[in-house]
Amino acid sequence: MKSHLIIYGLAIFVRVFLIYSDYRENIADRIEISTPLNSFNRILESYYRMSIGVDPYSSDVLHESPLHLHFYKHIIENTGQYLPLVFVFCDVLTAYLLYLFAKKYILNLRIEQYINMNLYLKHLKDQMLNVSDNEAIPLYVTVMYLFNPYIIFNCVACTTTTFLNLCLATFLYAICSGSVIIGAVSLAIASLQSLYPVILISALYLSVLKYQNSMFKAVISVISCISLLVVFIFSSYYLMGSWNFIPQTYGFILQVSDQQPNIGIYWYFFMEMFEHFKELFICSYQINVTILYFIPLTIKFRKDPVLLGICFIMLTGIFKSYPSIGDFGFSLALLPVMKYMYNCMQQIFVSIVAIITTTTLAPILWNLWIYWGSANANFFFGTTLAFITAHIFILTDVSFAHSKHDYLLKYGNDRTINGQPAKLVLG
Amino acid sequence: MAVVFILLCYFQLSLALQYSDKFTEELVLKPLVQDQIYAHFQFTTIWNVDARSRDLFQSHLFSRALSEVIVRHNVQELHISLTAGLWNYETWGYPIVDSAPGAEVWVWFKDDTNDIDTNWKQLTNSLSGLLCASLNQIDNTNSINPDISFAPTGIISNTLNSSFVRYATLPREIVCTENLTPWKKLLPCDSKLGLATLLNAGPIHNTRYHSLSIHLRPICRNAQCDLASIELTQSVDLVYDFTILGTRNWSLRKLFGQGIMNSCPLADTSTIYVETTNNDTNIFHLSPTPDEYLISTRGGFSSQFAKYVVKERPMTIAASYADKQMYTVNIPPPLYANQYKIGYGQQKGGLVTKIYNNHWAPIDVVVLQNLPWYIPIYLHTLKIISNGTPMKPQKLIYKPGKMREKAHSLELMLRLPAKSTTSIKFYFDYVFLKWQEYPPDANHGFYIGSAIISGHLPLGRNYTGIPQDGSTYASSFNASRKNYFVQIRTEPIVITLPTPDFSMPYNVICLACTVVALAFGPLHNITTKRLVLKVNSDNLLTKLKKFGRSLFCSKKL
Repeated sequence: MKSHLIIYGLAIFVRVFLIYSDYRENIADRIEISTPLNSFNRILESYYRMSIGVDPYSSDVLHESPLHLHFYKHIIENTGQYLPLVFVFCDVLTAYLLYLFAKKYILNLRIEQYINMNLYLKHLKDQMLNVSDNEAIPLYVTVMYLFNPYIIFNCVACTTTTFLNLCLATFLYAICSGSVIIGAVSLAIASLQSLYPVILISALYLSVLKYQNSMFKAVISVISCISLLVVFIFSSYYLMGSWNFIPQTYGFILQVSDQQPNIGIYWYFFMEMFEHFKELFICSYQINVTILYFIPLTIKFRKDPVLLGICFIMLTGIFKSYPSIGDFGFSLALLPVMKYMYNCMQQIFVSIVAIITTTTLAPILWNLWIYWGSANANFFFGTTLAFITAHIFILTDVSFAHSKHDYLLKYGNDRTINGQPAKLVLG
Repeated sequence: MAVVFILLCYFQLSLALQYSDKFTEELVLKPLVQDQIYAHFQFTTIWNVDARSRDLFQSHLFSRALSEVIVRHNVQELHISLTAGLWNYETWGYPIVDSAPGAEVWVWFKDDTNDIDTNWKQLTNSLSGLLCASLNQIDNTNSINPDISFAPTGIISNTLNSSFVRYATLPREIVCTENLTPWKKLLPCDSKLGLATLLNAGPIHNTRYHSLSIHLRPICRNAQCDLASIELTQSVDLVYDFTILGTRNWSLRKLFGQGIMNSCPLADTSTIYVETTNNDTNIFHLSPTPDEYLISTRGGFSSQFAKYVVKERPMTIAASYADKQMYTVNIPPPLYANQYKIGYGQQKGGLVTKIYNNHWAPIDVVVLQNLPWYIPIYLHTLKIISNGTPMKPQKLIYKPGKMREKAHSLELMLRLPAKSTTSIKFYFDYVFLKWQEYPPDANHGFYIGSAIISGHLPLGRNYTGIPQDGSTYASSFNASRKNYFVQIRTEPIVITLPTPDFSMPYNVICLACTVVALAFGPLHNITTKRLVLKVNSDNLLTKLKKFGRSLFCSKKL
């Protein structure tokens, strides 16, 4: 308990210190942190435009749903200069929800382990979760979230990714416990904000199916989530009085019309794209992040909806049209829950080193390009490519390690066939 | 034969009666405070025909080419200017006709026009052909329709609806001989006779500032205003620098390359005015002796002019200065402005417009910022500071633009305090364009047009404009009014947007797709295959590995 208080206290202190320091504006202006989708400056601008009677969706300033805009308006009007503290509070709340999620998830895994004990080889006790993990892993997750520089900067810059992370953490907690209502509501809000989380719906379905053991409830959860989303969109329409916001929100996310650099792969790709191929590549890229892996991964991880959810969160974080480091920070914070399969992962160390290197290089090369004019766009593009590749390696490693760990528990560490050396391959 | 002749005469006479149009030409020469001289040519054609009539094709002195354009596109008022150089308000005072650097067009369409955007696009295309300027580049992406900055200068029949006005500038437009020649062809005497013979390309483009403009508006035919006429004003504004001329003693021949050979027979009057107000400090002697000296008292300030009437014989005017040059103190005009960019790097910038009010009383102005779509401004960062204290605009009209579709426009109604400097500041983001949207010389930069400040001056100091109810420069003599309308333009701004590497499209496409494939391959494998044990076969790689081990780890082995 005491250690928790210290962790949370320190995390709040770091955030508040940075928010009220001179660095805040510099941090908020960084393109790795603030994208056209989540920049707080744009929220302020939209709020100002609304106050002088200009439709914020008539221009390219705002790309979030009207419901979110009214929520931001509410907090801007009611908190005044304490506005950044709302973001700090949300961040800490997210960390706590992730703690609860990790605790529940580890408990579920251990129960599963206990049930399946007869299937597993007895001498592989060290591959399994034990009692100490019950407390340790959730703490790791909390620390990984609260002291992750990506998340700290994201919170200090007051980006709206903070709220998205809160929704996703709530959703993860909900699917751990198979809660229909919380899951559906949090998923609908997250999808309303940034569209891509909608693919998490299969994780919701599977989790309700798994923990509540009822097909009916599972279907209900999916239907309620979709209908909530529809209700949200229609209430947005009634709030704004027109459908203007659709092309500016979901249209903008899907069409990638603003080429402001970020750490994703879209910006330079579509900046350098030949106009007549643009539609083709936009379609293929958007299908890649939404539909392409939806069914295969759902089938693959049907027994572990939480892992499916984590994979989808990572996948959308990597391939969404305007990723920010807040998204990457969130998926990195989830890694400790996969501690039990670390020894099956091969590239995690290399990936983490690559991430650290590229994170350091990106601002340097950005400055060289934009401020000093001695480098060009390719340098920055190169680092973002490496950054994305590292994250892809983590994602594929996680999904691969899952299968490997399963194999290990069932068939052991023996890698020989009839005395001849053999290796584990996909075939 | 005689009958034919009589008929012809009659026909001519009837034409002249039917199209009672009038053409006047004027040249104003005004020595400026510093070593410059300002020359303003004004050619005014007034055609007594109702602008609303669709039959404007039987023209006499009025340019047929222009009347066709007006009728086809339902134009009520048309203002075009092509300018090179920047008018220096602070030292030169106000010009007679103000214009922004580059090309500038603003048009009021008639209030029965249906599709303004299409008409506007087609009109600018026609004008582009008429004047050989790049006006065809004007479309909705760089046009705005300001609400209060551009009121019609002529008469209107209905209530004002600002949706019928369009304004656009092309600050990058370069004005040259190719624009002057078609411009001269719109004159009744072309450039063969009259004052227009002075407009020779060489000397004109050897100036600090030159501006060609065309202004067309409906005006009242008489005092009761029961009938309307069309007024077409073509003007040229030039500022010569004595340092470029090499001497202070100017003459028509030195300024324009030649004297006047003959007057234009189609012109009702053909007059040259030389302002001699400052002749008591910087004394110059005019030869030949002027026909007349005029004194004009306007808004509490009087100025003196020497008048020459151009006759049907060759003439020139020369001024010779007294040996000793007197330096006079420059008194800046009551209202002038600057515009500049702040910030460094190519991520975030700011735009500052500074407006100076030297008058002892507050002045109400309207500031118009015309911003291209690639300057997305953050309006919440707008700060108006006057003499160190923040102030609020009396009215703020913001029409947001849209990426690749529409330009942004911001109009601010301000009351400038007496003796104040007011700065208007806001921030914007640098936009990253697609590689094919950059112009050929991408690193040259992108232009932001001039800000326009419109206001009514309470006094006539430095004011030279023609009153709204007058047509010729002569009508500005002794034209004291309650206030004097000025419209001043600031400097255009160049910003260099960040550029991608233009040689990279294929590489970028390949690299980005490779990264996507890096995710697709393993995920495809994992989701479609299962883990199995396979006997190690000695392939090339393992052989190489073994070989490598034997080389480097021989001791261990």
